Amino acid sequence: MISVSLNEIYSETYKALRSVKIEWSLAKDCANKAKWLAQHDQNFLGSILKTADLYQKKEISISINENTNKKPLATALMGLLLVEYVSANKITWKGYIDNLKFLLAAMGIIAEEQQINLTLENEQKEIIAFTKEKKIYVNSNLDTKVTSYSSLKTYNYIEEKNTKFTSFKNNKEVTNLNDKCWERLKSMAFETYVPESETSKSGAGY
Amino acid sequence: MGFQNTKIDLDYNHPIRPPSTVMKLDRLGSFHQTRLSFTRRLIDDLKYQKSKIEIYQWDIDNSGIGSAIIKIALKKETLSLVIFCHSINDEERTDRVIAEKWDMTFSLFRGIPNKNELNQLSKNLKIQESGRHNSKQLTLSRANKSQRIFEKILNDLSIGKQPSEKLINDVGYLVRTTAVYGNGKFGIEDFSKTNGHIFLEKPFQAEMLTVYLIRYFSIELINFLAKKKGGKKSVILSKHLTKHLGVGNATGLGMAPFLVNHQELIHQWIYNRETALSRVFSIKRLNKKTQNKIINYIHQAFKYSLQWKVDDKLQSKKIEKLNLDLKKILQNEKITKLLNFHYPIKGFFNFFKDDITLETQEILISVFIEPFPELFEDLLNNMGADEKKSVSIDYNVNDILDIIKNNYNWALKIDTTKPEENYCFWYTSQTKLEPRLGITKKDAGIDKQLPFDIAHQIKQAVNTLSKLPPNMTAAEVMINHPELRNIIKRVIINKSMPYSEIQNNLIGKDMKPIDILRCKLSFFGASKYDPKSNLWTRITLFQGAPLPNELWKKNINDWLFPNLSNV
Repeated sequence: MISVSLNEIYSETYKALRSVKIEWSLAKDCANKAKWLAQHDQNFLGSILKTADLYQKKEISISINENTNKKPLATALMGLLLVEYVSANKITWKGYIDNLKFLLAAMGIIAEEQQINLTLENEQKEIIAFTKEKKIYVNSNLDTKVTSYSSLKTYNYIEEKNTKFTSFKNNKEVTNLNDKCWERLKSMAFETYVPESETSKSGAGY
Repeated sequence: MGFQNTKIDLDYNHPIRPPSTVMKLDRLGSFHQTRLSFTRRLIDDLKYQKSKIEIYQWDIDNSGIGSAIIKIALKKETLSLVIFCHSINDEERTDRVIAEKWDMTFSLFRGIPNKNELNQLSKNLKIQESGRHNSKQLTLSRANKSQRIFEKILNDLSIGKQPSEKLINDVGYLVRTTAVYGNGKFGIEDFSKTNGHIFLEKPFQAEMLTVYLIRYFSIELINFLAKKKGGKKSVILSKHLTKHLGVGNATGLGMAPFLVNHQELIHQWIYNRETALSRVFSIKRLNKKTQNKIINYIHQAFKYSLQWKVDDKLQSKKIEKLNLDLKKILQNEKITKLLNFHYPIKGFFNFFKDDITLETQEILISVFIEPFPELFEDLLNNMGADEKKSVSIDYNVNDILDIIKNNYNWALKIDTTKPEENYCFWYTSQTKLEPRLGITKKDAGIDKQLPFDIAHQIKQAVNTLSKLPPNMTAAEVMINHPELRNIIKRVIINKSMPYSEIQNNLIGKDMKPIDILRCKLSFFGASKYDPKSNLWTRITLFQGAPLPNELWKKNINDWLFPNLSNV
């Protein structure tokens, strides 16, 4: 395991995603979600590497309209855009998502920053998670790792019934990551760097 | 006493200078240190904290090799600067950020490191970026001795002689840092984790404290070595000369993208600076004492300009003109009268404004802000910014186009199809992972360029947005056109934070990166900018600042435009 800072998670993530030609803003959104997940003691690194891989193979969708069980929406890339879109247009979005955690991160971010009340339901109309007063609450009876058909919408009133919902805890300590995965992310990030040129050598100290 | 309770006679209605005046590179590149700069704020905070700074451990041999710890006791916490001094050859001593060896390496540490931690630090600090660092480390830094003066001063002191004032003035420091890393770099503590910590949660406070302590260490080191070398014959550096020694720094392009990437923060800094100025312009009357203070600061600025020597031809000319402007102002018979009028500072500035350079205008602004710290205490404590990850959902196509029309006219005027407006590109260098500038038609790497072509992105956005329904939400635009998300986010931020955008084409031929560096360095509190090209500069920090054993004194933070009176 390797201890890394949140700043490193952010900067290495977006650079790594840029190395597979993912749009700047999507790469940065993903980096912010990764940072949010790290802050809340959630795993994220393997999913990012997988997202990059599937994106390159075109086996993942970045369209909110065209996604299937086989080619679901990449929430690591599109999660924040999706929650903003649903919140701004006050619509219910339904579709297949590849990774619930990154959508939860996106919901968590928009709740903290813009205090928008959202609910996320599964195909059985069970609430997977909802946001309220700057926080996200997750149904502790459901497996959040499962890829599934989901529905995301804003709400005015929510009935929590008897389900137990828990919020994510803030991780005040350092983030420990699998060192091999971290090295892979860093080597992808390295692909975005450019060798020194004569022009750049006229920079500091040359 | 806060701004609202001040006894100074002022109204609150003076408008602040608009972004179209302030956010131009030639003006940003003329900024000087002000009372709002971070070095100045640090001294205030150290005083408020009743901080006690002392040598905690000193294991340095007669040749200056070894380790040391400086302890800083604050009201509620202890920090320490951990120092390792290494042996390197003269030819290995370089300003280049890509250097691999340094005379000294440093880290600001939470608490005092235990034996194991010290052992880890000794292995990792000397290799800096290549090492893996501890989350108790707040900064990571290194410095080299000044080859121009370190040995010379050491020799003088060891034979009982004070070094020449001219020598001290010409260089201004004993050691020069080549990097001071903070905020989570290479595994050190994230800045966000300082939240709620009254001393450390301010931007660049840990970095500035590191530099201040490096200055203290460099002075202790030279006095120690002089004594070891000269024994009883030796003397310590006089207090007068000691105070005129700061810490040098070589700063290159690595710093430039910060101002582009941190829109909210740069807005906050510049908005606060401009707000401070507008409050000063709102002063209705000045008493005799304050009038004299202002004239005295202009005298100090004049002396400073006389002692500010650089090799760079363009900057030399600017300094020459600054010197002439200040001389003209000081010789003008009307200055006492002007300061006696209603709205004296505003009147004074407007009287001279059109006949002086930007360099002079901005040095005058530093002068005007200096005597009134009580007018911007609230601003000083509000130099940070909460950077949003999401984009506000309250905007539609029409709103975005409106903001562009009102705030980005500067970008719309640029003909982005011209080769000179596509002259260069920004990228991250493989060698040191630092931002660099390439020439579009010459250098490889444009496919990996950083998105600093703001004017170009604005034009692309207008082109797409004008074809979309005006009431379509910005969120819907972005989900269908992710390539516009970066610029739409910038535009929305700029609506409420209008000082968040540099109003020049950052990939154009006329762009001088040195202006971006100088703007940021002025907020750090740098003095004696000494450009070595358009791409990097040497500066001095803390020159003239009080020494740790003076922090308890009254009016100790009065050190704008340091100069040695006899040079």
